[in-house]
Amino acid sequence: MNDVSGDRWQTARAEGGRVALALGLALAAAFALIAAISAEPATALKTLLTGPLSSTRTIGLWVDDAAKLTVAGLAFALVFQARQFSMGVQGQALVGGFCAGAIALSPIGATWAAIPLALCAAMLAGAAYGWIPGYAKARLGANEIVSSLMLNYLALNAEAYLVRAFYAPRGETKSADFLPSAKFPALIANTRIDLGLIFAAIAVLVIWFALYRTAWGLKLRLVGHNPRFAEYSGIRANFIMVSAMTVSGALAGLLGAMFVQGRAFGNLAIAFEGYMSFEGILIAIVARNRPQVVPFVAFGYGYLRQGAALMGLRSDVPTEVISIVQAIVILLTASTFTLSGRALVARWFKGGKP
Amino acid sequence: MMELFWTVFSTTFFVTVIRTSTPLLLATLGGLISDLSGALNIALEGMMLTACLTAVVVSAYAPWYVGVCAGMLMGALLGAVIGYFHLRLKADIILVGLAINIAASGGTVFVLSVVTGGDKGTSINLASKAVPALDLSFLAGIPGVGPFLSGLLSGHSVLSWITMLLVFGLWYFLFHTPQGMWLRGVGEYPAAPEAAGIPVRKVQLYSLVASGAFCGLAGAQLAMFNYVGFTRDMTSGRGFIALGAVLLGARHPVGAMWAALLFGFFEALSVVLPAKFAFVPPEAINSIPFAVTLLALFLFSYRALQAKRMAGSGQ
Repeated sequence: MNDVSGDRWQTARAEGGRVALALGLALAAAFALIAAISAEPATALKTLLTGPLSSTRTIGLWVDDAAKLTVAGLAFALVFQARQFSMGVQGQALVGGFCAGAIALSPIGATWAAIPLALCAAMLAGAAYGWIPGYAKARLGANEIVSSLMLNYLALNAEAYLVRAFYAPRGETKSADFLPSAKFPALIANTRIDLGLIFAAIAVLVIWFALYRTAWGLKLRLVGHNPRFAEYSGIRANFIMVSAMTVSGALAGLLGAMFVQGRAFGNLAIAFEGYMSFEGILIAIVARNRPQVVPFVAFGYGYLRQGAALMGLRSDVPTEVISIVQAIVILLTASTFTLSGRALVARWFKGGKP
Repeated sequence: MMELFWTVFSTTFFVTVIRTSTPLLLATLGGLISDLSGALNIALEGMMLTACLTAVVVSAYAPWYVGVCAGMLMGALLGAVIGYFHLRLKADIILVGLAINIAASGGTVFVLSVVTGGDKGTSINLASKAVPALDLSFLAGIPGVGPFLSGLLSGHSVLSWITMLLVFGLWYFLFHTPQGMWLRGVGEYPAAPEAAGIPVRKVQLYSLVASGAFCGLAGAQLAMFNYVGFTRDMTSGRGFIALGAVLLGARHPVGAMWAALLFGFFEALSVVLPAKFAFVPPEAINSIPFAVTLLALFLFSYRALQAKRMAGSGQ
C-alpha cells in the first residue's frame, strides 16, 4: 500500500507480463486444438478473435457479460482475499435473482419502486445465503468449500421448483416478461448494455474502498495474508470471515438481480445464471483478488468468451474449447504465486527441470 | 408409508444402494488418500468426469476391462498434473483443483462433440460397453437362506467387489505398512518425515496419482455400470459429496465406507422414490443427497470441534 509509484508500476508490469504469458500459452493451446479438429480453422479463429466486434448487438452482449463477470469476480475476490474458498456465488445469485424476480412479478413490479426494492431484496437474500457457510465454518468448523457447493445444488433445485410451480406457465421454463418498470433501462438503445453496468462500476468502487480504505478491509486482508498475526493483534478472525462471506453474498445477490432484471432476460427463468457465476473464479484469480483490476480482466475475458460463443455458432468448433483456455490460464497464473515470471519461463523452456 | 418400508428392506433396494454407493466410495477413498497426505483435492469431481468419458470412448472400441483401465489411467494422469502444478510450480492446491474441474466440465463436452460428430449432450451414438455384474444365482440352491443370499449378493458390479477389497487393502496399507505410515506422517507434519529422510515430495505426488486412479475407477463404474454411456456433467456433484464423505468418515477407510453407504442410501432413495410417490416434486428428490451431505457435514464438524475442545481443555 505504501509503495512508491515507481514500484507499483514495476509490479503491475511484471504481473501483467505473467498474465500475458499465461494467456499466450493458453491461446496457443486453443489454436492448436482448433487447427486439429476444424475443417475451416481460419474462419473459426477469425470468429474467436474478432467476432465480438462484428456488430453493435455483439458488442452489447460482450459489455453486458463483462458487467456480470465483474460482479461475479468481485464476489470471489472478496472471499479469496480473506482466504476463504467459498464457492457459493452461484447459489447466492440464484437465491438473490429469484427474490428480485418475485418482487418484479408482484404488484410492486408496476411501480417505480420495482427496481430499488428488487435490488435490495436480492442483495439481502444473497447476503443471508452467503452467511450460512461462513457461520457454519465459524461456529461448527464446517469446511466452507463443501458446504457452499452443497448450498449451490440446493439453490439450483429450489429455484427450479419454485419457478416451475409458481411462476412459469405450464410446460415452460421461464415466467412471463416483467413489466418495463421492473426491467433495467438500457443505457444504449437496442443493446443489452443496461443499468447493470453502472451497478457493476459502483460495486468495484465500493469494494475497493472497503478493502483498502477502511479498518474492516485492513483486518480482512490481514486475516487472509497472515491469520496468526491477525490473531495475535487481537482481530476477531471469525467475525471478519463471516462478514466477508456475507458481503460477497450480497454482491452475488446483486449479480442475480442483474441477470433477472437486465435486458438479457427480463423474466424469471430456471437456472438463469447458466453457470456463469463460476467464471468469476477465473476473473478473481487473474486479477489477484484486487477489485480495481477485476473489471479489466472481466472485459478481456468477456471478449474471449463472447468470441468462443460466436465461434460455436458460426463454425464447427465447439464453444467449450474456451474451458481449456480458462484452465490453462488459472493453472499458470496460480503457479506464479511464489515464482517470478522469468523463472517460470526459464523453467518452461528447460522442460520442467528444477 | 408401509410401501416405502418394504421397498427399503428389499434385496433389490440393497443392490441399488451398493450400485449408487460404489462410485461415491471409490471417489471418497481417492479423496481420503490425498487428504491424509495433506492435500485437499477438490478435483475429485473433474477427475471422475474425465474418467467417465475416457472409459466410455475407449470401451466403444475395446473390451470393457480396457475401458476401466483407461479411465483409471486418465484419473492417475490428472493426479500427476495436479501434483506437477501444486508440488513443482507451487500453485495453491485449491486453485489447481478448480482448474481441473473447469477443464473437465468443458473439455469433456468438447471431446464428446468431436468424437460423436457434434452431439454435445450424450454419447448415445457410441456403442460403449458395460462392466459385467457378478452372477451368484447358484447360491439360491442353498436350502433355507439360499434365495435371500442370492438376491443380496448377486447382480453387483465386478467393480463393487473390487471396491470392497480396496477398502480393506487401503486400511492395511495405511495402518500396517511403513509406506502408509509415511503417507500419514507427511500429511500430519511434513518436516518430521523430511528430517527422517523420507522422500516427502514423492509421497505427496504418489498420493495425488493414487487419488486420481481411485476417481478414475469411480468414473468407470458410473459410466459403465450405473449408467451406460456418457452424459454432460454426469457426475453431478458426486465428487463434492465424496469430499464431504471423507470428513464424515473421520479420515479412515472404513469410516469412508460407512459415509459413502449413507450417501449412497439416500441417492438410492432418490432413485426409487419417483415411481412410488409421484406427488413429490422431482427437485425435492434430487436435493436429498445434497441436503443430507450438508446436514452430515454440519453435525459431524460440530462433533469434531467439540472433541477437539474437550481434548484441549483436558490438558
